[in-house]
Amino acid sequence: MPVSADYIVRETTTNLWRNRMMTIAAVLTVAVSLALVGAALLLKQGATNAESYWQRGVQVMVFMKGDASPSEVAAVRSQLNQLPYVHGCSFWSQARDYREARKLLPASEFTALSLKTTPSSIRCTPNQLEDAMAVSSRFARQPGVDSVQSPQSAIHAMEQTISVLQWVFVSVALVLLLSAGVLILNTIRMAIFARRREVSVMKLVGATNWFIRLPFMSEGLVQGLIGSAVAAAIVFGLHELLNSLANPDQPFSVLSQMRLSGVQLFSTDIVVVLIGVFIGSIGSAMAIRRFLDV
Amino acid sequence: MIRFDNVTKVYKNGTVAVRNVTLDIQKGEFVFVVGPSGSGKTTCIRMLLREELPDRGRIWVAGREIINMPKWRVPYLRRNVGCVFQDFRLLPNKSVFQNVAFALEVIGRPKSVVETQVPQVLDLVGLANKRDNLPSELSGGEQQRVAIARAFVNRPLILLADEPTGNLDPGTSQGIMRLLDRINRTGTTVAIATHDAALVDWMRRRVVELDQGTVVRDQARGVYGLDVATGPVPRAEIGVRGS
Repeated sequence: MPVSADYIVRETTTNLWRNRMMTIAAVLTVAVSLALVGAALLLKQGATNAESYWQRGVQVMVFMKGDASPSEVAAVRSQLNQLPYVHGCSFWSQARDYREARKLLPASEFTALSLKTTPSSIRCTPNQLEDAMAVSSRFARQPGVDSVQSPQSAIHAMEQTISVLQWVFVSVALVLLLSAGVLILNTIRMAIFARRREVSVMKLVGATNWFIRLPFMSEGLVQGLIGSAVAAAIVFGLHELLNSLANPDQPFSVLSQMRLSGVQLFSTDIVVVLIGVFIGSIGSAMAIRRFLDV
Repeated sequence: MIRFDNVTKVYKNGTVAVRNVTLDIQKGEFVFVVGPSGSGKTTCIRMLLREELPDRGRIWVAGREIINMPKWRVPYLRRNVGCVFQDFRLLPNKSVFQNVAFALEVIGRPKSVVETQVPQVLDLVGLANKRDNLPSELSGGEQQRVAIARAFVNRPLILLADEPTGNLDPGTSQGIMRLLDRINRTGTTVAIATHDAALVDWMRRRVVELDQGTVVRDQARGVYGLDVATGPVPRAEIGVRGS
């Protein structure tokens, strides 16, 4: 099937130019919807990055009652040390916790605390975030234990917020993608309709279906490609903006923790472009089908 | 070259367009297919181009059975069958040269072929001096010549014409017929569907008459009616001769 590249390029450009308003509409819709898809992807990867960062620093803290006997403390310590899913347990004496509290609490609250009422604690690092839960359920009722604390619930709340945001992004993006597909389909259909005489002559003199189809498909492809390129640029810009907002002096801010690597950003942009190309060619292929059926 | 074997075509609304037509056209023949509107001439041409499929029977074109032909082969069938219509079907925004060249370009012929073949065929149809005009700047006869040039530029084995002179005056029509005759003399099989009695009588070539979808007459050197002087013959007599 000898279809010259020269012919396709020529036909595609004249078609795009002839329907330029529809082309612009289709390209913009693709751009907006794919930018949303890209943003959702960024958010997801950022959340994964931040989550692993948070998990590294998580500790589960078993606070003993102020009046717990030394044997009770020793029992809890030895049991914690034997657990397979926690490691690096350390014992914080009442004096050490008291000094820590002085650093962390505001003066007004700290005055309510005395060395005697300050609990001693054992702090361990769980292998996984979920293991903190196991520690809590196991030791909460142990004699001499006051309470078990971990930042787990806070992290969970954050993750949930992010996943809800993600779903909102993805579903809006899907609706927009669908409309972008329909717009491209419609643009191509109009292009073919405007040229149905030409198409019928082509069929009459024996042009193959692929020969007729290719210029129109490449038209949809170009629309998808331009739209997704714009979307990729938006995603890149968004990433740069967030990076510039993340203050390097505060490595513990959420934005810094969500920071993406170059590879992650690149692959996100690749995915965005691929979706755009896919939507463009599928839309146009669907538009042509009806006209070729003679 | 063209063979219909007991072909019947019924349209969805129940109209029987073609009924049990059996017809054999040899290579290099020049055939008129005549008959009133609705007699099935156009349906036959559409079936030859495989724009329609018959309900019964088989059709051969250039030695190939076309009814069971796979879809992807249809374009290659059409490259062997040139076709001309009453309404010319030229592309209004392309020049004469571009209209003819288009037929070669869309079947993937290289530029060098286009540049030699198109002037040759424009010369043949007598439009070499109008190659850069648009169809709208030409007379009806000239437009039909462009259409013939487009149908013939690929040197098809068969040239079909569906009422090629339907929109033209008698003098111009004769010119078109002479052109088709010249093309026929290059060895191309030519089949013309028409109801232009004067032309058929003038050419004195093989005549196949269709009436309500059946072949009622097939004469080697015929005229439009059975005899120019006596006019149309009673139907019963035609039926006997046709069978």
